Amino acid sequence: MSDSSFPVSLIFPPQGHFTQPYLALPCLQAYLKQNGFEDVQLIDASVESYDHFLSEKYVHWAAKRAAEILPIEGFETRPSLGFDDLEAFRAAAESSVAAEAVAERIEAAKSVIRGQDFYDPDKYLPAVRTLYHALRVVSAAHFPSRLTPHNFQMAYATDRSSEILEATLDREQNPYLAYFEQELLPRLVQRAPRVLGLSVIYGSQLIPALTLARMVKRALPDCHITAGGGFLAYIGKKLMQAQTDAGSDQMRSAFADCIDSIIFHEGEQPLLELSRALKAGQALDSIGSLAWFDRSRTGSPAVFNDSGHPIRLDTAPAPDFGGLPLAKYFSPELCIPYDINRGCYYGECTFCTLPTVIGPGYRTRQADTIAEHVVQLRDQMGTRNFNFITDCMPPGMIGDLPRELIEREADVRWWADARVEPGAYDPKGVELLYQSGCRKLLFGFETATPRLLKMMKKGQSHRTTIEVAENCTKAGISVTFYAMVGFPSETREEARDSLNFIIQHRDVVREVSLQTFHLDEVAQTYKEPEAFGLEILEDEKADLQLYHDFRSESGMTRSEAAEMFEEMMSAFRKHLTLFSGDHIYYFMQKSHYFLHLARDEHPDDFQARCQKRNLLRSERGARGDLVTVKGLEQRALPYSYTEVTRRLASPLARAVSPDFLTGRSVESVRDKAEADLGGLTANACILAYAPEQAEFLEISADGASVLNAIEQAGSLAPLLESVEDQPEAARRLEQFAARMHGLGALTPSSTAHAPAPMEMAAKL
Amino acid sequence: MSKEEKRDSSKAKDPATNPKQPAEWNSLADKLRKGELDLRVEEVEERISPSETNVFDK
Repeated sequence: MSDSSFPVSLIFPPQGHFTQPYLALPCLQAYLKQNGFEDVQLIDASVESYDHFLSEKYVHWAAKRAAEILPIEGFETRPSLGFDDLEAFRAAAESSVAAEAVAERIEAAKSVIRGQDFYDPDKYLPAVRTLYHALRVVSAAHFPSRLTPHNFQMAYATDRSSEILEATLDREQNPYLAYFEQELLPRLVQRAPRVLGLSVIYGSQLIPALTLARMVKRALPDCHITAGGGFLAYIGKKLMQAQTDAGSDQMRSAFADCIDSIIFHEGEQPLLELSRALKAGQALDSIGSLAWFDRSRTGSPAVFNDSGHPIRLDTAPAPDFGGLPLAKYFSPELCIPYDINRGCYYGECTFCTLPTVIGPGYRTRQADTIAEHVVQLRDQMGTRNFNFITDCMPPGMIGDLPRELIEREADVRWWADARVEPGAYDPKGVELLYQSGCRKLLFGFETATPRLLKMMKKGQSHRTTIEVAENCTKAGISVTFYAMVGFPSETREEARDSLNFIIQHRDVVREVSLQTFHLDEVAQTYKEPEAFGLEILEDEKADLQLYHDFRSESGMTRSEAAEMFEEMMSAFRKHLTLFSGDHIYYFMQKSHYFLHLARDEHPDDFQARCQKRNLLRSERGARGDLVTVKGLEQRALPYSYTEVTRRLASPLARAVSPDFLTGRSVESVRDKAEADLGGLTANACILAYAPEQAEFLEISADGASVLNAIEQAGSLAPLLESVEDQPEAARRLEQFAARMHGLGALTPSSTAHAPAPMEMAAKL
Repeated sequence: MSKEEKRDSSKAKDPATNPKQPAEWNSLADKLRKGELDLRVEEVEERISPSETNVFDK
C-alpha cells in the first residue's frame, strides 16, 4: 500500500565528512518505501552546507566579515599576546593575507577535486589545501567557532544542555543559523513534511541538528521532529531528560522546543511505526525504541518506550540513495557505503562501544544478497566503488562474499574494516579478496604490547596482525592500522614499542589511524574503572556528559599521552610515505587514497609517485629565470605567525578546549597554558601566501625586499649576476630562492604566464 | 645555477647600467655580501590534531 500524501523528510545535519554519502538515510528511505511510504525526501545538509560555504561568494563574504571582527591592525599596538589571543591572531593573520586569494580560487579547487585532475597530485594537493584554507576563513568569520573537513566546534560545551541551547541561537558564532534560514528552511516550509528525521551520528552534528530542529519547530509546528543515530544512542536519554527553568518554579524538558522524539539504535522499524502512528493519529506509546515528549502534561516530560526488535537484516532492502546531491560530494567518483552486517561477531573489546550504537546482537546479510545489492547499486549509481560498512567481517564472509562478487562479475572495488583472522586472511583468502575488488583493509592493531592487548581483550597478537598485513600486502591490498595511545596503564616505553613496531613494518602498513584513548561511559573501561586502574573525574555540571576525564593509577597521564600522540604522528610523517609532507591529505580525505587504488594502481606504485614528487619538490633549485609567482600575497605582521601556530598545536593548548579525542586532565589547564604559551612578544615578520600552491610561508622584511627586487628585475638572474664575485653571498641568495621556488613563491618564467592548473580546471 | 643559465642572464653588475637591477637592490646586495641579510624562511606545516585523525570513523 503506497501513501504519497504523507511527506517524510530525512536530513543528515552538518557536520560529517564531505567526500561520500553516509548510509543511515538511504537505509531508512529504502525501508520506508518498501513499506508503503513513497514520499520520502533525503537531504544531506552537511555536504550542501560545505558546498555553500566553500563558494566564491561565501568566502568573499567571510573575508569581509573576518576583517571586521578580527582586524589584524588591532594586534599591532599590543606589547605581547596572551594565550587567549593566539587563536584570534592566527585567524586574523590568515584571513588578512589569504582570504581574497582563496575566495578567487575556491571554485577551481572544487572542480579539481570533483574532476579528473583529482588524479594528478600536483593539482589535487594545492586544491585540497585551498579547501582547508577557505574553511579557516569561514571559521574566522564566526570566530571562535571552527569548521574543518573533520570537525565543527563552537566555544560552547556540547556536554551541557544550557550551552547547547544558547549555541543554537548564537547568530554571530553559529554559521548554520543563517545557512538554514536562507537555504534549507524555505525548502522544508514549501514541502511541509509530516515527519522530519535527523540523523545524528557524531557529536559535531549536535548543535547544527538542534539549530535546525528549533527553527523547523517554530515554522512547522505540526511537523513531528524525531532524531536518531549513533551519537544520540549514547546521550539520547540524558538529552530527553535534560530540564530547563520554565519560570514560576516550574521546570520543563529542555529540548522540547527543538524535537518531539528520539529513536534509539537502528531506525528503520521505529521510524516506520512512528510514521504510521502519526498518519493514523494514534498514540506513540507502543512504538519500540522511541522516547517522546508528552506535551499533554506540564513540562512535557519524556516518556521512554520499551526497546523494539531489530529488523531482519537479511531481508532488508538495499539502501536507496535517491535524492542525495551526488554531484556535490568532494570526490571525482562516488564511493558508496553499504552495510554487510550490523554489530560485531566478536564483541569483546573492552574499549568498544558498538553495542550501544547499533543495539545488542550481531546480524548479517547473506553473501549472495550482498552481491546482488552491490551489482544493483553499481548500475543505479554509475560507480563501482564501495565502502563496506562493517565493524569486522566474520571469517565465513571473508571467503563467501568474494566468491559471490566474482561469480556475478560485479567488477567493483571496495574497502572495509576488518578484524585480524589469520585463518581467513591466508595467502589464498587474500588473493580471492583482491580478485573480488578488495583494495584496502583496516585492522585494529591498537598496540604491540601483549599485556595491553590482553587488557583490551583483543584476542590477537601483534605478530598475527603483521602476518595478516603481510599477506594482504603481497596480494596488492593496502593495509591501514588503527592504533591507540594512552590506554590505561600504558607507559611511554610501551607506546614507543608500538611506534617502532609499526615503523619497522612500514613496507606493509601504509596508513595509521592513531587515536588517543578516551573514556566513554558505555565502555567496559568506564563501567569497571578499578579493573583498569582508573579514577573517573565527574563533572556535575555536564548533564549530557558522555566522555569522562580520568586519572590513571599507572602509566602515562593524559597530557603525557597527548604528547606521545605528537611524537608518534611526527614519526609517522617522517617514515610513512603517505604521511609525508602534504601527501597526508590523501589519508585525511577518507576514500581519496582508495580511489587511486580503485583504478588498480598498486599501493607501491602510488607510494613511488608520492616519493618522486617529494624528491622533485626538494630538488627545485635556484634558476636564473625564476620570477615572483603571480598573485603572491604578503602582509607584515607584528608577531611570528609560525610561532603562534606552533604554540597552538601543543597538547597543552589543545587541552584547554578539549574534545573527547584531545583529552584534558591537566590541573588548572588555562593558567598553565597562559604561563607556558602566553606572553608572546612582538617579532615582526612577513606572512606570504602563494595561492597556486596554496602555501603559507613566513619570511623576514629582508626576504620580502628580495622578492620585491626579483619582481622589479624581471627575474632572479640579474640579482645573482650582481653577486657572482661573492660566492658566499650568491650561495645564500640561491638558497633563499630555492626555498621560495620549492614553496611556490618563485616560479620559472616559462610557467609563470601559462594558465595555472586550477585556473584551467575552472575554465574546463 | 648552471653556467649556461648564467650566460643567458644579464651580464651587467651595475644597476646604473643595467635597468634590470632595481635601484634598491644595491643596499640589499651590500647587506647580503656582509652576511647581514635575514633570509630565513619558515614553512608552515599542517599539524594534525587527534580530532582530525579518526578519518575512517567519520
